[in-house]
Amino acid sequence: MAACVELTGISKRFGGTQALAGVDLTVERGTVHALVGENGAGKSTLGKVIAGVVQPDSGEYMLAGRAVHLSSPRQALEAGVTMMAQELSLVPARSVVENVYLGIEDHSGPFVRGKELDRRFAALVEETGIGVNPRASVGDLPIGDRQKVEILRAVARDAGVIVMDEPTARLTGDETAALKSLIRRLAESGRTIIFVSHFLGEVLDIADIVTVMRDGEIVRTSPVASETEESLIEGMTGRSFTANFPTRRPPALDAKELLTIQGLSRESAFSDVDLMVREGEIVVITGLVGSGRSEVLHAVFGDASVDSGSMTLSGQVFAPRSPSQALRSGLAFVPESRKEQGLFLNMSVESNITMPHLRRFGSFGFVSQGAALGQAATSVEAVGVRTEKVTTPITSLSGGNQQKVLFARALVEDPVLLLADEPTRGVDVAAKRAIYDLLVSLAERGMGILMVSSETEEVLGLAHRVIVMHEGRVVAELDGESATEEQIMNAAFITSGRAT
Amino acid sequence: MKSSRRVVNLIGEYGIVWATIILFVLLAVATPAFLTTANLSNVLDQQAIVLIVAVFATITIIAGGFDISLSATYILAPLVAIRVAEHVDSGLLMLLVGAVLGCLIGLVNGLIVTKAQINSFIATLATSLVIFGLAYLVSDGSILRLPESSVRALAMTKVLGITTSTWIAIVCIGIAGVLLHRTRFGRYVFAVGGNQEAARLAGVPVDRVIALAFILGGMAAGLAGSLNAIRTLTAQASDDFSLVFTVIAAIVVGGTSIAGGSGAIWRTVVGVFFIAFLGNGFNLNGIDPVVQRIVQGLVILFALGIEAYSRRRRTT
Repeated sequence: MAACVELTGISKRFGGTQALAGVDLTVERGTVHALVGENGAGKSTLGKVIAGVVQPDSGEYMLAGRAVHLSSPRQALEAGVTMMAQELSLVPARSVVENVYLGIEDHSGPFVRGKELDRRFAALVEETGIGVNPRASVGDLPIGDRQKVEILRAVARDAGVIVMDEPTARLTGDETAALKSLIRRLAESGRTIIFVSHFLGEVLDIADIVTVMRDGEIVRTSPVASETEESLIEGMTGRSFTANFPTRRPPALDAKELLTIQGLSRESAFSDVDLMVREGEIVVITGLVGSGRSEVLHAVFGDASVDSGSMTLSGQVFAPRSPSQALRSGLAFVPESRKEQGLFLNMSVESNITMPHLRRFGSFGFVSQGAALGQAATSVEAVGVRTEKVTTPITSLSGGNQQKVLFARALVEDPVLLLADEPTRGVDVAAKRAIYDLLVSLAERGMGILMVSSETEEVLGLAHRVIVMHEGRVVAELDGESATEEQIMNAAFITSGRAT
Repeated sequence: MKSSRRVVNLIGEYGIVWATIILFVLLAVATPAFLTTANLSNVLDQQAIVLIVAVFATITIIAGGFDISLSATYILAPLVAIRVAEHVDSGLLMLLVGAVLGCLIGLVNGLIVTKAQINSFIATLATSLVIFGLAYLVSDGSILRLPESSVRALAMTKVLGITTSTWIAIVCIGIAGVLLHRTRFGRYVFAVGGNQEAARLAGVPVDRVIALAFILGGMAAGLAGSLNAIRTLTAQASDDFSLVFTVIAAIVVGGTSIAGGSGAIWRTVVGVFFIAFLGNGFNLNGIDPVVQRIVQGLVILFALGIEAYSRRRRTT
């Protein structure tokens, strides 16, 4: 096998962070080569260097034996390298076909040959087994489908090397399975896949070779056969790994009902949802992306109207018409997308924490900076956010610490019920564990927790009760201690034979 | 390595301050007529109008809004105020009428932007046309003159050697600064402009904040319009409508992001003076006004270029 990608001494610095420090990497043609590491380890940056998205400060890059300098993704594509980005890079207002062939359209002179594109798209769907409506606007598609468009786009470019950055983060179980077999087929046809992922199980399953990274350096590169999840985690964190989840104590037998939902419906989102959360109970809603899980959470938080049904909170009728009403009733919310729905990226840690609670600090509409800073310092301490000062810009924190800031914000006013949508998405192993510990300790103090999670392991490890949703309906309610992965999967995919 | 990076950051962050200081020193050294009390207090007085509008428009822009109708409000307000002054002889009332009218226009703009969800640039472009139309109706298309009266005294009075206009501008800077940097509303303005969805989920009353930001901008434009009429003694519907361009240029040159979510009142104040000193320097040296315009345009592009460059450095 010929070395396909050969990097020597690649370094890259962003502001004050050394993202890559003299990385040497050799990737063989026709292999699936995984890059793993904690957030900030440099794996995404390395992927971007390979795909020409990021230009290294120093180092050499050989592609199929020839030295190359890729100064743009377009140049990389001409050299036969393309990338599927973690942040989706599609044009929302245009159709699926247009997005897939963006920049590589068939044309006669300046005119795009639409029919030819349609034909090629059909062939592409045939080849990959990934089906998406070619006419749909990308902006109207659920996130899972947009990810499929990204994959189609990468394959359509017919590149010899495809860098995939967290391709499965937004996919459901069956979509992930389909992607796995697609990746295998691409590798067998001689293409080289660089697979950047957080999901170690997947890496062991899909990849041939795995490179473990830590702090911008390579720890080791080895065949997956010689690795286990535990050995990878040890390599990534530099310490051996103990239990994944804290021990949870069941809520008291006489725990009061905190939130009850009856017959809650909203057109084209969810229908007839019944559910209940007791004090001190962690209830996890799971199911496929698009099954209405997040929508239920948003409705409880007053962020989306409902067509029918009723809710009670601590025995009182509860019908919040806005997030601020829900906050005042003692709810708090950690949203799904940290950057889009959660953080104010050009503000400090302090402003991010105190934003919903400013009424508490100062009077007559003024903000007492001292009181706000004091609260932020207390909150940061309580949740274990690693930051030098609370006046630090939020963007200089790692993903895991940013996520903890969202928890710090949610907990300022001691909510009775915490809503959390994918609370550990995109955070590293250590931060994950810290968030699990936090959730369990909050529940022990009597807080009710209603969360949404796609990670089955997390669902089983945390939940006192599991709610499985499918196509907007609750299809199963399972005891968290005794539930199994099979039970959840069966419920989540109950009608998957019918869906494509 | 590290320190050079810090220097680059400092230049990016406070670049406009250095540029203004350097410009000031250059003019002080090279142009004898510049560093005189008469010239500087004249510059101050001339900039009062722009300052009043620009500091409040800064709030609108940080909130993520864009109010093109400031010019139209600035032209309509004095016409209405003069019509009122024809019956009640009071300069203060003229200012009040201008400010209240501006608030109402701002409220309408704010409601259109929040409730109808129309892009604020387009919405205020449309309302501008309506307001200009009203201005012709109110004035019957002719020049309105201030009645001979005590009204004029307001513009003439000097307190501690500084004109009333300048005092009003100083008060406006103070109010806008406190509002934006010391109050809950101010923090909400940054939140809404920075990430509207996150703001909503954090319980920020997004629509109210945006509407209030437009009301403040409109208020300032109305107030400034009346003040200008008191100074110049006339107003007409076909007056120069380039105010909004000057205002936005000053805001942007100061370093407030046109995308919303970041900026500061002091930046706008510095931006106003940078452009004012530039113009003043050209005038004192007798340089063709046409050249002035071209240079101003290039300066604005340069400022935007620096902002875009430093943003790219931070995000990649």
